[in-house]
Amino acid sequence: MPCMTAVVQTEGLTKFYGKRRGLEDLTLEIRPGEVFGYLGPNGAGKTTTIRLLLDVIRPTRGVARLFGADPRDAAVRGRVGYLPGELALEGREKASEYLAYLAGVRGGIGKGMIETLAERLEVDLSVRMGRLSKGNKQKVGLIQAFMHEPDLLILDEPTSGLDPLVQQEFLAMVREARTAGRTVLMSSHVLAEVEHVSNRVGIVRRGRLVAVEDIAALREKAVRKVELHFDAPVPEEAFRDLPGVRDLKIEGAALSCTIDGRPDALIKAAARFTVVHLVSAEPDLEEIFLTYYSEDVHHAHVGA
Amino acid sequence: MPMLVRKTLREYRRALIGWTIGICTFIGLYVSFFPQMRDNPDFYSQAALAKYPEGVRKLMGGLENFTSGAGFLQAVVYQLFVPLLFIMCAVILGNKAIAAPEESGTLELTVTLPVDRKRLVLERFAALAAGLLAVAVVSLTVLTVLAAAVDMDVPFGRILAAHIALYLLVLFFGTLALTVGAATGNKGLAMGVAGAYAVAGYVFTALSRDSQVMDVLSRLTPFHYYSEGNPLVNGLPVGDCLVLLAGTAVLALTAVLSFDRRDVGV
Ligand SMILES: Nc1ncnc2c1ncn2[C@@H]1O[C@H](COP(=O)(O)OP(=O)(O)O)[C@@H](O)[C@H]1O
Ligand SMILES: [Mg+2]
Repeated sequence: MPCMTAVVQTEGLTKFYGKRRGLEDLTLEIRPGEVFGYLGPNGAGKTTTIRLLLDVIRPTRGVARLFGADPRDAAVRGRVGYLPGELALEGREKASEYLAYLAGVRGGIGKGMIETLAERLEVDLSVRMGRLSKGNKQKVGLIQAFMHEPDLLILDEPTSGLDPLVQQEFLAMVREARTAGRTVLMSSHVLAEVEHVSNRVGIVRRGRLVAVEDIAALREKAVRKVELHFDAPVPEEAFRDLPGVRDLKIEGAALSCTIDGRPDALIKAAARFTVVHLVSAEPDLEEIFLTYYSEDVHHAHVGA
Repeated sequence: MPMLVRKTLREYRRALIGWTIGICTFIGLYVSFFPQMRDNPDFYSQAALAKYPEGVRKLMGGLENFTSGAGFLQAVVYQLFVPLLFIMCAVILGNKAIAAPEESGTLELTVTLPVDRKRLVLERFAALAAGLLAVAVVSLTVLTVLAAAVDMDVPFGRILAAHIALYLLVLFFGTLALTVGAATGNKGLAMGVAGAYAVAGYVFTALSRDSQVMDVLSRLTPFHYYSEGNPLVNGLPVGDCLVLLAGTAVLALTAVLSFDRRDVGV
């Protein structure tokens, strides 16, 4: 009975805004302790999904459950930390006052949590909210999502508006949450932002989930550029027709190629010569990811 | 005090202070004219008759006998201007409860907190009622002190009665704005509905002595129950006040139920 353990579970979840499709027939399970990257271009239905999960909007059809309960149940929302995609913070209230109020409504939080998070993200909470820059608003949003150490974090495009250093700090916070056994659902329109922390990614497009992939499996399928430098020129025949090796180019003592999946065959072939230098670029998951957008063949049915 | 009530009152604070100052200043200015009017009753009665055509006088409550203390208070404080200002204040605050934060986007995070939606609306309503009560209490105090200072000779019990009716009238319109906002999330619509109903109600009631139709129509509006009993003269009209309260309760209940079943921020 995997449904008993799922932190997030949806069945046939559908939302139409009038005639306009926001999300159709989403069936998905996110397991405890998992970091799930929810990917798709603008207008794909990510925010719609997330708002349905938090009972901000109500489904046209289908059900959403958090920890096995209806998200309408206020107590269940107490276990969630939520960062909205379009976070609105305004007014003359100081960010620290607003956070204290949120903490109060949540029934209190760990001592010093707000200050620690503010220090990590480097944001000054004594500023009036209406005066915060976009990036600082996003940081305040992250603080309120993390501060009560929720069992489930639902983050809608969390890295938007953050500079790269803060993005790294944020990813570290996500990793720590995962280590602590928490579950994370984060959306993004760029795989690169989530691939280093996610266990699985789901790809949504025009309101439909088109694929769910294990990051490790995706990486295995990934295209990777490799360069090898030898101490002497190598014969091309030694590397011709190796499985998974494409675009082979040999110029004297230098070899470059592209690898689909495992680099095993290439490594074994190269081992017969003296390798002085090896360059392997990070697998370009983006490239595989994009194939999901250009083709409609990947109608992976989740759970099947 | 519940969290959301306190938070909402904090959001209201500046507006409450501003409107209280405005309403009290208005009351102060007009009450300070009273000694002149009392000392020259014929002149001012004539002047009022000459200055305003009959239709306008009707809209302003007749302006008969406004050189007596009660008549003066009725004409300048309770008839038109103070209710008007106070209703504007209430409608703006009523809009701040749901529709304004929904349009600005700040309501989204609020509804995801571990607070039941019904409770959210109820607490915002409670804050609205408390905020308007504060304005009412301060303005009542100011009015009572000033009325005594100019020897207006209206018993405190009567002023209190008139102010209670005023508070209930204003609370009704504030709640109306809150309810339209809770049901639709549309600030402009809430403002429009409350404003149009207030203006129509006022006109129907002012003209109700002239026409059967107006009289019937006025009974569908809170102004009828506000002014019918003439509390400055007769004391608190309990039945009319209960009608106003019942109307407010129905609106508040509608707000709670409609907000509970709809999408937020779409
Ligand atoms: N309030 C709304 N009213 C009408 N259509 C909407 C509304 N919100 C979203 N949509 C539509 O639903 C689709 C999905 O939007 P959204 O969930 O915001 O996508 P994403 O978050 O992936 O960018 C889009 O086509 C969008 O235009
Ligand atoms: Mg979005």
